[in-house]
Order: sequence, then C-alpha cells, then structure tokens
Amino acid sequence: MMINRSREAVVFLLLCKGGKNMLKELNSPVIYLICGTIILFVAIVCVIALVRAWRAGVRIGMDKGKLKRTVTSSLTFSILPSIGILLGVIALSGSLGTPWPWLRLSVIGALHYETQVAEAASEAVGIGSLSAEHMTPKAFATIALLMSVCIMWGMVLSILFNKSYLAKIQKKGACKRTNGRKGGGFGDLAMTAMFIGLVSAYIGSYIGKFVSGKGVLTFSGDLTPLLVSIVSAAVMAVFTWFIERKQMVFLESFSIAGSMMIGMLAAILM
Amino acid sequence: MEKTEDIKSKDQNVCQHAAMDTEHDTQQDPDERRRFLDRYNRNTHRIGRITTAIVLAMLIGAPFLIGSYLGSEPDLGAAGRAFLSVGLVWTVSSVVEFLVYTPMLGAGGGYLAFITGNLINMKIPCAMNARDIAGTKSGTTENEIISTLSIATSSLVTIIILAVGVLLLQPLQPILQSRTLAPAFDNVVPALFGAMAYQYFRKLPRLSWIPLLLMSLLFILAPSLGSQTSMMILPSGAITILLAYAAWRRQQMEV
Repeated sequence: MMINRSREAVVFLLLCKGGKNMLKELNSPVIYLICGTIILFVAIVCVIALVRAWRAGVRIGMDKGKLKRTVTSSLTFSILPSIGILLGVIALSGSLGTPWPWLRLSVIGALHYETQVAEAASEAVGIGSLSAEHMTPKAFATIALLMSVCIMWGMVLSILFNKSYLAKIQKKGACKRTNGRKGGGFGDLAMTAMFIGLVSAYIGSYIGKFVSGKGVLTFSGDLTPLLVSIVSAAVMAVFTWFIERKQMVFLESFSIAGSMMIGMLAAILM
Repeated sequence: MEKTEDIKSKDQNVCQHAAMDTEHDTQQDPDERRRFLDRYNRNTHRIGRITTAIVLAMLIGAPFLIGSYLGSEPDLGAAGRAFLSVGLVWTVSSVVEFLVYTPMLGAGGGYLAFITGNLINMKIPCAMNARDIAGTKSGTTENEIISTLSIATSSLVTIIILAVGVLLLQPLQPILQSRTLAPAFDNVVPALFGAMAYQYFRKLPRLSWIPLLLMSLLFILAPSLGSQTSMMILPSGAITILLAYAAWRRQQMEV
C-alpha cells in the first residue's frame, strides 16, 4: 500500500516536472519569434489598410472629422473586449504556453472557439484533457495545426469569393437604389435587421439561461448576463439622451465603451 | 478570363459608384473620382487576396515549424479525426460567417476581419457602431472606407493590448485573474450586446421584439441550445430580415 502510494507520488512529480519542462519549451524565445513574426506581419497589414482607407476617404472628399471619429470610436470600443481576449491568452497559457495563444487570439482566433477546439484536439491526440502535465511535442503540434485548420475557412472563402460575392450584392443593391425608390434600397435595412437578429439570439440566450438554466421554467439559472445587458442598455440610453438631446456628439466615441464598463462593474456588484 | 474579370470589376464599380452617397460634396471631376475608386477597389482585392493567402500559409506552416523545433511533427491522422468531430461544425460556421458578414464589412473590412478574427464579439459590432457614427449606407464606398478604418483600428488595439499584456503577464496576471474582477470579465459579451441592443432595437422598434421573443422562447424551451448561441444567429437574422423585408415592401406599395 505504502509502496504503491510513493510510486504514485513519484509518477505525479515526474509528470509535473515533464509539464513544467514542456511549458518551458512552449515559452521558448524561438516560439515567441515564430508567433511574433506572424503577428507583426498582420499588424503591418492593418496599418497599410488603415492608411489606404484614410487616404481614399480624404481623396473622395469625406469629412476628416468623421474619419477621425471612426478611428477614435473603434479604438475606445475595442479596449475592453481586448482585455477580455487577453484573459483568454492567460487562460490558455497554462496548457499551451504563452506565445501560441497570443498568436491565435491576436490573429484569426476567437475567444469562444480556441478552448473548445484545443480541448477536442487534446482528446483526439490521446492526452485526455488540455493540460501542460500531459502535453507532448507531438500533441502540441497536432493541437496547433487543428486550431489553425478548423477556423481557416473564412480566409479561404475570402480569397476565392469575396470579390465575386460582393460584386453580385453591390450590383443588385446599387441598381435598386438608382431606380429611385423612396427610402432607399433594402440593403441597409437588411444589415440592420441581421444585426438585430444577432443581438436577439444573444439576449434570448441570457433570458433562457436564467429561466431554464437549471431545468426548464425553474427561474433559478444565472441571472448575471441578463442583468448586465440590461444595465449596459440603460447606460447606453442615458448616453444617447445626452448625444441627441444635449448635442454632446463627442460622447458617441465613448458611449459603447462607457456602457460596457458600467455593465461590467454591475456584474462585480451583483 | 482576365477580360471577363475586368468587365465584372468595372460593372461592380459602376454600380457601386452609382450608389454612392451624395452627402460628400466633392469638387472632383467625376471621371477622375471614378478612375481613382476603380483603382482603389481593384487594389483592395489584390492586396486582400495576397495578404490573406500569406497569413493562411503562415498559420498552417507555424505548427509544422514549431513541431520541427520541438522535435515532433503533427499527427495528421489524429488531426483528421479531431477535425471530423469538431472541425466540421466550425467549417459550417465559417461559411455562414462569410456569407453574413462580408456584405456588412465590404471588401477591405472583410479581408481584414477574417484575418484578425474575433468577429462576433468585437469586429462586427465595432464596424456597425462606426457606420452608425459616420452615418454611411451599406454598399457604398464611404461605408467600405469606414468599415476598413474601424476594423484595422480595432485589430491594432487588440494586437497592442495583447502584446503589452504578454510582456507584463507576470505582474498583470493576479490583477486580471482576481476573484473580484472575474465576474466583470466573464460578462464582456453581455455588456457589449446590451449596449448594442439598445442602439439597434430602437431603429426598428415595431419588429425587434419578434426575434427577441422567438429566441427567448427557443432558449427557454431548449436550454441545451445555450452552448450553441452562435449557430442560432443565422435563423434569428433570417427571420428578422424577412420581417424587415415585408415591412419595406409594404412601405414601397404605399408610395
């Protein structure tokens, strides 16, 4: 009995040591260099796109103030979700090292996707659950490959069909608009409707989580996401009132970020 | 082949320019403006395709490169099995995302968004918010420019925050992972969609409650769907678009 226990302890220590060594390997400067190079390339692509779009906007006579507001609002808008994404990097760094999750979540990845695929991949490679303890070089390379392959289709489709797909849609929309219909074409309305559908799916899921999260119609599930979205919507209403009624247009750039921050603060207080 | 592509591209640009907002009063010669936009649009697709292909090659190549550094290549058989179990769902989801989001983002924004990811939880709401603030219409060059600016900025913010975060990982980790802040970061997406819901529901108040009610009922009666919310976006969006189309048709008939 005693011998068995000490044997288990030795195996456990060896696994921990193996996990630590593997993590050390996964955090090595070479892997940082590989991932950092790809991130740097994507950052350069973003800068090129930003400069080209700005210049084109100025060239066709768009108001510079409007372009500036777009950049400012997108900047403030993205800070909080980016911190949320950083938490994803921290969460995954315990099992996959830091550079790979850093790459995945800076480029192409999505917070909700990465963990799910990484878990499924670790089961398929036979290491059970996603953990540094059981990670081997082969398992890591396989998990990393699968994470890349599963989510690459948006890029593949963009390369193949973005141009022709947009040409088809824009031709339809533009020709409808030039027919002189009152109130413009349907394209704009369709985009708004699609987004309302998207938001409805998420808010509906929060309602469902509360009402049936612990059994259908038990009203005892998690109420926090629903309350957070209500608080955030209420704060947005206040911002909108100031923007529209008091002409405080500068608030537009900060309204979403501000509403989110207060909504998230409410989650702490609940 | 090249010629057909050229004709297609011209056709697309003619329609795109015809649809352009007139709110921006430019002193430019219309022909010169058209020539410039033709060139801009052509180059956007060229740059978009090339950079997307390079990033794709890098992302697929990286696991092999890292594998060779670690001394073991990926197990392709296991990767294939895992792809069949989980990858197919994401493939379908990627196709849906491409079909739905590309028209929202336009060419430049579309290429960038699919390279940089985090579409639902950041890029799409960010671009829609920027479009609202700038007051541009979908399908116009102005909208294309605003969307590209917005997604490029948003991507750079994420890249910078993540880079700083990784550099300061040791000191930041206890703060970001503290118990006190955990509920806040667990609820980034509800906070985002709450604010966006107010903004968008008031645009179409007469029909917004219908998809919300339907989705709520669906998630109440089938709570297991809660883990697949992103898959419900398409039916929810389709219903809302149909309702909006019916309302729009009615409005057109009345005129």
